[in-house]
Amino acid sequence: MNKGNITTDYPLTNAQRNKLGCLLDVLIPASQDGHMPSAGDLDLIAYLQAKAMDFLPSLIALLDGLDEDFTTVNFDERYQAVKILSNDEPGLFQALIYQAYAVYYQSPAVLEGIGAAAGAPFPRGNTIESGDLSLLDAVLATPKQYRKAPS
Amino acid sequence: MSEANLNEPVDVLIIGAGASGAAVAWSLADTRMRIVCLEQGDWMKPSEYPTNGTDWEIQQHGPFNIDPNIRQRDTDYPINNDESPINVVNFNGVGGGTVLYAAHFPRLHPSDFKVKSLDGVADDWPISYDTLDPYFNQNDRMMGVSGLAGDPMYPPKQPPLPPIPMGLVGEKLASGYNKLGWHWWPSDSAIITRPYEGRDKCLNLGPCTSGCSQGAKSSTDITYWPQAIRAGVELRTRCRVREITLAENGMAEGVIYYDEHGNECHQKAEVVVMACNGVGTPRILLNSKSSKFPDGLANSSGLLGKNLMFHPVAFSQGVFEERLDSHKGPQGCCILSKEFYETDLSRGFVRGYNMQITRGTGPFNTAIQGYASGQIPWGPDHHKAFQRRFDHVASVAVLCEDLPELHNTVTLDPELVDSDGIPAAKINYTLSENSKKMLKHGVDRAEQVLAAAGAVEISSAELVQSAGWHLLGTARMGADPNTSVVNSWGRSHDVKNLFIVDGSIFVTAGGLNPTSTIQALALYIADTMKKNLANLFD
Ligand SMILES: Cc1cc2nc3c(=O)[nH]c(=O)nc-3n(C[C@H](O)[C@H](O)[C@H](O)COP(=O)(O)OP(=O)(O)OC[C@H]3O[C@@H](n4cnc5c(N)ncnc54)[C@H](O)[C@@H]3O)c2cc1C
Ligand code: SF4
Repeated sequence: MNKGNITTDYPLTNAQRNKLGCLLDVLIPASQDGHMPSAGDLDLIAYLQAKAMDFLPSLIALLDGLDEDFTTVNFDERYQAVKILSNDEPGLFQALIYQAYAVYYQSPAVLEGIGAAAGAPFPRGNTIESGDLSLLDAVLATPKQYRKAPS
Repeated sequence: MSEANLNEPVDVLIIGAGASGAAVAWSLADTRMRIVCLEQGDWMKPSEYPTNGTDWEIQQHGPFNIDPNIRQRDTDYPINNDESPINVVNFNGVGGGTVLYAAHFPRLHPSDFKVKSLDGVADDWPISYDTLDPYFNQNDRMMGVSGLAGDPMYPPKQPPLPPIPMGLVGEKLASGYNKLGWHWWPSDSAIITRPYEGRDKCLNLGPCTSGCSQGAKSSTDITYWPQAIRAGVELRTRCRVREITLAENGMAEGVIYYDEHGNECHQKAEVVVMACNGVGTPRILLNSKSSKFPDGLANSSGLLGKNLMFHPVAFSQGVFEERLDSHKGPQGCCILSKEFYETDLSRGFVRGYNMQITRGTGPFNTAIQGYASGQIPWGPDHHKAFQRRFDHVASVAVLCEDLPELHNTVTLDPELVDSDGIPAAKINYTLSENSKKMLKHGVDRAEQVLAAAGAVEISSAELVQSAGWHLLGTARMGADPNTSVVNSWGRSHDVKNLFIVDGSIFVTAGGLNPTSTIQALALYIADTMKKNLANLFD
């Protein structure tokens, strides 16, 4: 725990918050058909506060490392800036991807968008096709057998 | 049930409450002897398994990681894998590895017990498939095993429950095998497909390797243990054994262990049974040094901790145009192929491998693994690449027979210790040329079958690092005390009241998942002990 580092309920300044929104928007943008939300639409900070508080200071440092105009340049330029970030800070960037994907792929809207059920798997469960066991006829038609061994 | 007085000796002391410890405890219970099992881990609570929450995939990377060095529960012990291309994975708790296992449950083949006679390599086991056949059947009933009778690659057998649904993944791959004229069969699985013995059937949740919330996966904490405890066995959790002590007469006297508060305790016993797995058992025996056994207890052969066998695993994944619902259904249990299981020297290697068809992962793991492999980028192309893979994959795990080699070892780490100060296990392992050729052959064949099944994109890993699931051979059985650690029924050649019942006693590894055979062996050893109770130490 990083006690004392986070002094308000919402740990980012407005500038950091805007940068984070843009950064997440680059990592997983909304799909063009509008089916899938952007990662920036989800509340990464709330998730980190609940599950991965330790990562917050690194995230803040990472956001502070981005140029001030990151939020105003166009998408391609932001994309290039994030590419540079991923090369310069590979460990931190990987951790960011991990947390961003963790939030994204737990979101009910996202799960619905990819055709998966939202919520905990248990006790809901899943139904799967039993499969056609007559496909085994081909196996049984061959003379293959287990190898005999001395007892 | 009354607690044993810690100073009062018991008849049988079992160390380790995993796959084999549970089976041996249950079987011995009907003797009415006083039986105690010491287990370093906890009882698991199904309501705490990851699939109870939306963050089920994240938990697989933390408290339910299969690698103890990452999981780092205080009930785990560290393992030094620095000198091994394969990392040991396990679980420490009531149920042992079966808590997290995939429950793929094939038996060794008759030929696996006689590789020296058949192929001129390694050694024959002192027992045969026929010796274990009744115990395989007994274990299938006790655990609750699903499968389909009639596989021509085995002598006749009848799993008690119908097979796991193949699903679209299994059907797809089966059609690929049929095109090539290769063998395949629905997998025997320690997962119940019908209500069985008070347990509910599998719900096809998927991630069996983080624990089964439904209780459909047959882990020994919900199969053998409740019955063993009802029959009078006492199971003490959070008790970590440091060493086995030796009496003046050369017999095992009991053990020294740490209880959950770190107190050092001494438990005496007439018989000590080791069931700590192929790494945990040699670790504790090597740590049990005395003037009579300066190199570790029961180690006059010098073979304790040697001949470590994993099953080296290669992995090929195919992407299909059609949706296969890959993330649904038991991930590791579907169909398998034994087409390349037996020796054919024209392939350039001896012995063989089994191909285990596995299903896909959930959304988060698909994305994060795709990021790591470069197949699913972040950025504008993320959705397209994700959707191409998620629920559209089927995989082939190539599980190779590993032959025993003296230089593959478990030793005591000179520096690393667990939280009680007991030396950690250190693994020294190199992949043999035979295994390398086998892995390569397996990857080629896996890619061939995926292509035949219609995969539009195929990628492979020739060796999976985190695949040290199967821990075998480090206290092998045999008739000759110079070339083996225990005899044909698990009794130490050196210490006549010390038995080993876990995967350490395998002579060779076969080319498939070992737990069915580990448990059949444990039941066979328990039965042989019962038959010889009057002259157990002769
Ligand atoms: C992720 C995963 C997937 C797997 N999938 C499969 C599969 O599909 N099919 C298959 O056949 N096998 C599979 N396995 C392997 C399977 O779990 C093992 O083969 C089996 O559990 C080994 O049984 P065992 O009795 O030898 O030891 P274990 O089940 O490992 O039990 C050993 C027990 O001893 C305890 N112990 C160790 N040292 C001490 C000590 N000093 N004091 C007290 N207690 C101690 C441990 O805490 C543990 O509970 C898998 C394993 C893992 C981890
Ligand atoms: S797939 Fe079946 S066995 Fe596996 S975890 Fe889910 S319910 Fe349990």
